[in-house]
Amino acid sequence: MPLDTSTYSLALLRLDGRRWNELRRIHAQISTQAAADGSSYLEMGNTKVICTVTGPAEGRRTAQGAGQECRVEVEISVAGFSGVERKRRGRADKRTQEMQHTLTTAFSSILFTHLYPHSTIILTLHVLSQDGSLLAACLNAATLALIDAGIPMSDYLCACTAGSTANEDTDEPLLDLNGLEEQELPFLTAGVLGDSDKVAVLMLETRVRVERVEGMLAVAVDGCKRVRGILDAVVRAHGRRMVEEGV
Amino acid sequence: MPREAELSLNEREFILQALRENVRLDGRAFDDIRELQLSFGDEYGVADVRLGKTSHNPFPDRKFDGIFTISTEFSPMASPAFEVGRPTEAETLLSRLLEKAIRRSSALDTEGLCIIAGLKCFALRADVHVLDHDGGLVDAACIALVAALRHFRRPDVRVEGENVTVYSVREREPVPLSLLHHPLCVTFSYFNGGEVVLVDANLVEEQVREAEVVVTMNRHGEVCQVAKYGGLPIDALALLNCTNVALAKVQMLDKVIQQRLEEDAKRRDKGGLMAELNGDTLHKDDDRLDRTTDWLAWVSEWIEKAIGLTVGVVAQRYAVRCMGVSEGGTGRGKARARALEEGEGETVRAM
Repeated sequence: MPLDTSTYSLALLRLDGRRWNELRRIHAQISTQAAADGSSYLEMGNTKVICTVTGPAEGRRTAQGAGQECRVEVEISVAGFSGVERKRRGRADKRTQEMQHTLTTAFSSILFTHLYPHSTIILTLHVLSQDGSLLAACLNAATLALIDAGIPMSDYLCACTAGSTANEDTDEPLLDLNGLEEQELPFLTAGVLGDSDKVAVLMLETRVRVERVEGMLAVAVDGCKRVRGILDAVVRAHGRRMVEEGV
Repeated sequence: MPREAELSLNEREFILQALRENVRLDGRAFDDIRELQLSFGDEYGVADVRLGKTSHNPFPDRKFDGIFTISTEFSPMASPAFEVGRPTEAETLLSRLLEKAIRRSSALDTEGLCIIAGLKCFALRADVHVLDHDGGLVDAACIALVAALRHFRRPDVRVEGENVTVYSVREREPVPLSLLHHPLCVTFSYFNGGEVVLVDANLVEEQVREAEVVVTMNRHGEVCQVAKYGGLPIDALALLNCTNVALAKVQMLDKVIQQRLEEDAKRRDKGGLMAELNGDTLHKDDDRLDRTTDWLAWVSEWIEKAIGLTVGVVAQRYAVRCMGVSEGGTGRGKARARALEEGEGETVRAM
């Protein structure tokens, strides 16, 4: 879908009226499902994801598991109505499988898996609406749900995307792309551990000059820290409410 | 479901200890790539990869593009952990990475596979078969795929209105694919909390590593894809450094592939009628023709000169005879001159 982003250089305002370093509205809730051990609902702009955590519980295949550490299993289902056109994405879809693998390996190294030998943590994510930054939204929602489930982890894993404007002479990085911008511009998704500069997840899928990567990564890491602030506020507000209501 | 045999604790500790002492088990430096062996089959497009081709109907939403698919297959021959039929996670990731590295970065110009817009196009299918697995699967598969695409020739076609003639290899020299750039993958492995970085880890090192980063670049310095699926968190600056290292490696690998392709092209170039009809080899025949014409010209020139010389000599003699300055004539002339000297000389003196 061709899209005219040439107006950006004039007003320095993006299609949805943001400046280059502005995040979209992030709205998050935790403990949304009573039945799950931990659950969360996250909106990053128009991307909406719901996540539930089951476990740590005895896994389906404990006999074969590594034993000393718990397994992390991730299932992502993308609703048919989530995109612009109705399209059914099956379980065998490679993009979904890749995202599942990313979440599994990312959280396996961040959660204290050695505390739960012979067990499994199952993360189930449902994508209700897609408008860019899907992987970032899934990572953020999973972090919140795992915190809600009370599973010890070293720090928040917060993610966001960063892109680079298309014109050749000036390469200005952009933070948190929406769906239209993602189709048009080169972008990367970074997942950063807490307040550090340590990158746990990095996915770049579009061809881009090597010089631009540095700017994009710097903006993405900075954005992740701001996402962490927002998620932390959500968790603390929820904690306060729990104390007040005595749940 | 068979699984990869896990390393024993001793082996694991041995590898890590060696790495702490800056030693790799196979004696390579940390940023060394294993030696690249690349050979091509007898048919075009067979490297470690086989490429098939059929004429096909294009997808209705992409009328001007041909079809290009990559499929990967792990056979149990490569590793006992692989099973036939059931795609493992590693296989899914490999095909996804190749897809991102080569298809999404538009390395292959799929519009070049289009014959008639919306009606006919070539469908190109790349089958990657893993024959042996000793780590670095993504890197190897990517090299094989790019080499095969660069090696492959598709049959030539002629379009007359709605009629398409596909010429066999015997009728017309097949056409190489149009590749816009040549992406290659380099995998970085992290050990000991990110202190040790290895390029192109082998299988045992892969089992011990704490994080991996796959960087795909082309030799022009464009990053086509970066994938770090979780694992140990790495400092952002260290990740940026990866791209610089990857660029040097990719340029080196690209040179090797180029060299091997040239060697293969030389081996294939046997001459003959097809070679003469082919545009590439035409100038070579021209050379030979030039040499022949040169020789002919030289001979004719030589003959011409010889004839010219003889004719010249004969003509000179004739002219000399006519003018009376030949052997006999000189006598007469000399006599007159002498007479003049003797007789008229006196008269002159007398005058």
